[in-house]
Amino acid sequence: MFAAVFIPNFSLQAVLRSDPGLRSRAIALVDPGLPKPVIVQLTPTARSFGVAEGLTASQAMARCGELMIKARSLPQEQTATDVLWQTAYAFSPRIEATAPGVCTMELKGLNLSFNQDSIGPWTANILQALASFHLDAQIGLAITPELALFAARTANPMLAIQNPSEFISGLPVAALEPPPDTLEILQRWGIQTIGALVALGPDRVAERLGPAVRELFNRIATTSARPLKLIDPPAEFIEQMDFENEIETIEPLLFVLRRFVEQLTRRLESIYLVVAEFQLRLGLASGVNYERSFKIPAPTGNIETLFRMLHTHLETLRTDSPIVSLRLGARPSLPETHQFGLFETALRDPNQFAETLVRLMALCGPDRVGTPQPEATHRPDAFRMKVGVHALACPPSTLKREHQQPGPPLRRFRPAIAAHVEFRNHRPALLRSPAFTGAIAEARGPFLSSGDWWDTGRWAREEWDVQTSDGSLFRIYRATEGCFVEGVYD
Amino acid sequence: MPAANVIQLRQILSERFPGLRTRAEELTTATRKHWPTGLPRLDQSLHGGFPRGALTEIVAEQRGSGGALLMIALIHQAFRENQFIAVIDGHDSLDVTRIGEDLSRLLWVRCASAEEALKAADLLLRDGNLPLVMLDLAVNPAAQFRKIPATTWYRFQRILEQTSTACVVLTPHAMISPAPVRITLRSRLSLQALETDPEDLLRELKLEISETRRSELREPLENSA
Repeated sequence: MFAAVFIPNFSLQAVLRSDPGLRSRAIALVDPGLPKPVIVQLTPTARSFGVAEGLTASQAMARCGELMIKARSLPQEQTATDVLWQTAYAFSPRIEATAPGVCTMELKGLNLSFNQDSIGPWTANILQALASFHLDAQIGLAITPELALFAARTANPMLAIQNPSEFISGLPVAALEPPPDTLEILQRWGIQTIGALVALGPDRVAERLGPAVRELFNRIATTSARPLKLIDPPAEFIEQMDFENEIETIEPLLFVLRRFVEQLTRRLESIYLVVAEFQLRLGLASGVNYERSFKIPAPTGNIETLFRMLHTHLETLRTDSPIVSLRLGARPSLPETHQFGLFETALRDPNQFAETLVRLMALCGPDRVGTPQPEATHRPDAFRMKVGVHALACPPSTLKREHQQPGPPLRRFRPAIAAHVEFRNHRPALLRSPAFTGAIAEARGPFLSSGDWWDTGRWAREEWDVQTSDGSLFRIYRATEGCFVEGVYD
Repeated sequence: MPAANVIQLRQILSERFPGLRTRAEELTTATRKHWPTGLPRLDQSLHGGFPRGALTEIVAEQRGSGGALLMIALIHQAFRENQFIAVIDGHDSLDVTRIGEDLSRLLWVRCASAEEALKAADLLLRDGNLPLVMLDLAVNPAAQFRKIPATTWYRFQRILEQTSTACVVLTPHAMISPAPVRITLRSRLSLQALETDPEDLLRELKLEISETRRSELREPLENSA
């Protein structure tokens, strides 16, 4: 038993997925790849105005003034194909990519029968899943893949063929898609239905039209079913769109992006996965692509959380030319389940925190927000910043007390303040700087330090801790560049 | 009545991990409503620590009054409790090399001005993920404070009331009217302090604690440890 899922007007539906509100309007699809661009697919509303396939855009516009002409988009068709395969795979492990917009599924082992109670809910779930991705489908069920496809093409929206001979005999012979010259001969013979063709018999037809015509009879054979060419659905989850008009403001971009997030999240949800990472690519009119990856700190399927993360980043993004295309890919992962250790605490909402970090980085600068990591050197104030929420989400630190240096900590001046220090008897006696100007009451030092002598960044300094006449405690140092106030003890 | 081995286990745990609570009843109301500072003088005076969901102002009127010393002590306390903590550094003056080796639970926001620091604080307080947010404005120039409207602190207080975050603000003079707790640092470090153990310095800090909401001014805690 086989089921065929057929998406009528597949190219048009693929284009309209990104703007499903247009599906009820008069829309016609033109294939710019054809030598003469004519309408290839159209909505029922457009057809009701007298628009038909084969018309040029201007002819169609003459019949329907409200008609919107859309161009065929191969990337969007590929996305729709992926959606179709991934949805079908959620319902049967054996699927075949039969044709664009057609997916055949083998139902062996699924414990389904032609009984309406058995297949009704099953097919309804498939149709509902595809409808959530803005794809209207038809499903046919039969004992062979070809018959299932014939059934799908005539279904409304589901048709199960229990009596294949009766069903086939009533179909027009054109449904077999014979070569045009063969079809013309058959029609001149007065053969209008498949039933009439079958009545002639394959041998007699092959004698007159050649052995190739036997292929037509094989398609309607009910005694044996061909094996499916099984495929695995792609592991990539991508939504993409080429804009008709260049985008210069954030609002239309966010409108489409939200749809993409919704679609990707639903696609993953249907196979019990969540988003672990987004890859955003903006195609710019200058030909350059802007690419950015967003790792989700706590993989989630929450649309609001995921969208807010992208929104926050795009709010601060400035591109040098307008945006002409958008591509959003999602890396799936299993929903995270984490059992914390006895002494471990964690952030309540890592995704919210990641968003706050992005905002903080936009406010203060990317190198000024993060977790400091002291470097293994004696160079004063040597540290580097580790950024991102993952810098914080690390294993718990030990409970042991840190070894503390004696004395109060320093409040550093970054950069150190240039100062004029007057030395008397080799000890600092007077300090003149923006931090303090006056006499030095007491001083400790000198403390000599140096390092990196093997490198170009060598340094050497003579430090003094001084108490000024107003009672403040400063650290000053003398280096080759002069004297500086490094900070105040507090 | 707990079994003997349970009592023994609790004893071992409390010896090895002094800050660990080994019994549910030890998680008092005070602990839930306050962020324990780990400094006995402060915790006793403040009924368990800094109030959660509220502002606490630490006024360091003079250079060398121990503001940075206290701030680093609070960071260490957060690390001991395995908590994440944020320091919004209003003048980029924190000496992170003095804090320790493993700073993976510290979020350090290095700001260029008090205005930028307040915006950063607004974001972090709204986030509500961190149990303690410290805003250090102690060494910012006085001119920057004139640009801060008084309503800012009331707005922060309203935000905090929705969270369990304790927010500590270090200022050079008293300026946060809605803060229920204000701690004024009255110490003055001398050159001899540079050779003293930080724990001893903390014990010697002169603190004046006032709880404005209770309208109850406490006596200065001068070297009362």
